[in-house]
Amino acid sequence: METLKPRDAKDVEDAVRAAIAGEQPLEIVGHGSKRAIGQPMATNALLDLSALNAVSNYEPNELIITVEAGAPLADVKSLIDSKNQQFAFEPIDTSGLLGTPADAGSIGGMIAAGLAGPRRIRAGGARDHLLGAHAVSGFGDSFKAGGKVVKNVTGYDLCKLLAGSWGTLAVMTEVTLKVMPRPESERTLLLRGLDDIAANAAMTMALGSPYDVSGAAHLPGSVLRTTAGPLGEIGAPDQALTFIRLEGITASAVHRAASLAARLASFGKAEILEDAASSAAWAAIRDVAPFAASGPRALWPVWRIVCPPASGGKFGQALARESQGEVVYDWAGGLIWAALPPSADANAKILRQRVEAIGGHATLIRAPEPVRQAVDVFHPQAAGLAALGQRVRASFDPKNILNRGRMLRGAAT
Amino acid sequence: MSIKMPEPDQAVLARRDEIVAALRKIVPGEGVISSAAEMIPYESDGLMAYRQPPMVVVLPDTTKQVSQVLKYCHANGIRVVPRGSGTSLSGGALPLADGVLLGLGKFKRIREIDFDNRAVVVEPGVTNLAISQAVDHKGFYYAPDPSSQIACSIGGNIAENSGGVHCLKYGMTTNNVLGCEIVLITGEIIKVGGKTAETCGYDVMGIITGSEGLLGVITEVTVRILQKPETARALMVGFADVEAAGECVAQIIGAGIIPGGMEMMDKPAIHAAEAFVHAGYPLDVEALLIIELDGPGVEVDELISRVESIALSCGSTTCQISVSEKERLLFWAGRKAAFPAVGRISPDYLCMDGTIPRKQLPLVLRRMKEMSEKYGLGVANVFHAGDGNLHPLILYDANKPGEMDKAEAFGADILRLCVEVGGVLTGEHGVGIEKRDLMPEMFSEIDLNQQQRLKCAFDKDGLLNPGKVFPTLHRCAELGRVHVHGGKLAFPDIPRF
Repeated sequence: METLKPRDAKDVEDAVRAAIAGEQPLEIVGHGSKRAIGQPMATNALLDLSALNAVSNYEPNELIITVEAGAPLADVKSLIDSKNQQFAFEPIDTSGLLGTPADAGSIGGMIAAGLAGPRRIRAGGARDHLLGAHAVSGFGDSFKAGGKVVKNVTGYDLCKLLAGSWGTLAVMTEVTLKVMPRPESERTLLLRGLDDIAANAAMTMALGSPYDVSGAAHLPGSVLRTTAGPLGEIGAPDQALTFIRLEGITASAVHRAASLAARLASFGKAEILEDAASSAAWAAIRDVAPFAASGPRALWPVWRIVCPPASGGKFGQALARESQGEVVYDWAGGLIWAALPPSADANAKILRQRVEAIGGHATLIRAPEPVRQAVDVFHPQAAGLAALGQRVRASFDPKNILNRGRMLRGAAT
Repeated sequence: MSIKMPEPDQAVLARRDEIVAALRKIVPGEGVISSAAEMIPYESDGLMAYRQPPMVVVLPDTTKQVSQVLKYCHANGIRVVPRGSGTSLSGGALPLADGVLLGLGKFKRIREIDFDNRAVVVEPGVTNLAISQAVDHKGFYYAPDPSSQIACSIGGNIAENSGGVHCLKYGMTTNNVLGCEIVLITGEIIKVGGKTAETCGYDVMGIITGSEGLLGVITEVTVRILQKPETARALMVGFADVEAAGECVAQIIGAGIIPGGMEMMDKPAIHAAEAFVHAGYPLDVEALLIIELDGPGVEVDELISRVESIALSCGSTTCQISVSEKERLLFWAGRKAAFPAVGRISPDYLCMDGTIPRKQLPLVLRRMKEMSEKYGLGVANVFHAGDGNLHPLILYDANKPGEMDKAEAFGADILRLCVEVGGVLTGEHGVGIEKRDLMPEMFSEIDLNQQQRLKCAFDKDGLLNPGKVFPTLHRCAELGRVHVHGGKLAFPDIPRF
């Protein structure tokens, strides 16, 4: 497959225009760290944005950073970290899950995938942090969306569509993101031995408290039987762990941890993990370490299920039991990562029926290509919404040139 | 009226009686208003300088009726303007002479409160404040708090992506909505999201929010609610010049502190507010900051002292810290009453709404002062300082010939300046008709075409709220055409491997 490596936005425009003229769909790649996610595509050239890697403008006091889409996420993270700032939505690093090189990934890929980590319950997702973008549409035109300030309602909020669109609407060339202060301290309450239902209740109580919880996750005991790394070190085999995180200035985090522990006393006596231990645990939760490609469940398909948080425990417990699979809960039960024993359709049909019944949806994040060919990777929508989504896509890319078929099964041909 | 609206369709106007009769079949009884006298309350919204009676007002009370009304209008090529409580400051709900004004005021029910999932399902006519009141007994609230929150509807908040003084820390409407039901102009009912943190597929929820009634009519909303912070305290800090106040704001943010609210007022605004509510504002300062910290007591106390020392190091001349809830509310009373306070010192005022990079504040205020002299009109400034959202209030007298035009020209100059220094035309009030013709200051024709293509995906005949947001309307067929550029060379002149 031919690889094109544009030097600037103009090159991207030229490449897309040529692709339109030649009716040759393009695969859009930042660093390629998430290429294994999505429906297999029908593209015959690769548009590699890694040369668009400059930080155009970083203004910590304005809480914004403007970066070219191909900039390495790791570099940008360490830049803002040097000013005690962060991307508050805690973007997930999929390298462990997918078995790709660690610390890879671009800023554009982070936004296009829109996979937010544990702090999503408090700080929102990638969509909530994308303030502006320059992008090339499937018309071959470079356009601007949004602005470079934190508060803006001028025109349609096209940024919302670009975030999480997996490169199917436009090729982002530069993005402006909101950055937020990194908390001074963090404390994590650790409860041991709760079953999924009780853990869900504890997390619901924590989120219903005034203590400003920034992470609430639960790992059933069976998951921890074989998990290496920080989670394995904290846990004992077959003993479930429930984590609830509080962040802020030290005095506040300490105070809230103590107050919340008292409120949750009926669920057991909470241990408290401090700063480094806490953040190591949350990085492992964020990146779904129990289902790492280097671990024993490497061959199991992995689903990302988003559901009403208070329904998570009951749903996840039944799913794990009946499928002989494993689940991990984040977002106080509102996000369930499920690894299911291998099957031709990754259990898509039954899983989706059940998740729809509780008002949720499921995305197949990891599966071998034949499985991703056979099932809908992204959750099928009701007919009206699906048709509207396709009209929206066509309003950006009528010739279906960009990442053809990545989000919709059957659209690749 | 200096804003030109789309020409009324004479063929539609000629059929008015027939249209009214057809609408009465869909929405019986008092739900259709067609007499000139009874339509007067609907002639304008919060942008009161503009008035236009609609062809007819329809007030449905079920989603099915909304769907049937839209379907009928779509089939008959009739324009529709949706309206919530009519508090838009940008003219988003200004009627069209040949249009149906579709009021959602009867959608008043709170359908479900789900504390476990921290979600509330409401009809669009429920007021912003009513949501917080409905969940208050369990310590919850709905975070976005536009200053019209007593009156403004949640449906309107979604259409405008409303903000408020707390949105630096807690986000705008778009960051606090989980789901909605919309009816497209075809009558088709679409549900997006629900009680989940994320929707699936393209973020239709995100694009509906802030679309100013151009994409669909909202008939149900699911919002997320939060627990109220344990305490809140405020500082009131005065500065001898605006630069020092701006520097103080920058240093607070730079120190990693995100206050619950951080507001600035300039001298004219301070004086007007103090004369109106007697909040005890210092009158000898050039800029006043009100900074609110919220959270647990230990956190608030600690941050208050950090902010106080930053303020001192930036040269504050006065600094008061609230010691009671009563005093905190008094600090806010002047700021919250700033608009009516200015209304007392001037027969009329125009409220502008640009956002700028905060570091540009001294320059912008200086230039604004020069413009004020040039136009011979006063200006008072209130400013959501934390997020750079500026509200200049331009003082004028509509009874003096030509003065309103002058005020509008002054306002347009301010917004051009906001864009020139790297900001945007509107931070929270919306484009509506007010800033419509300034859109090309911020967006190129290509940018605007892309936005209008999206409109075509929802409403290809352009029947929903035409004349708002976009200065020039293009036909969808024309916008959708793909131009094939250049010759046959596959990928010319790009490095390849």
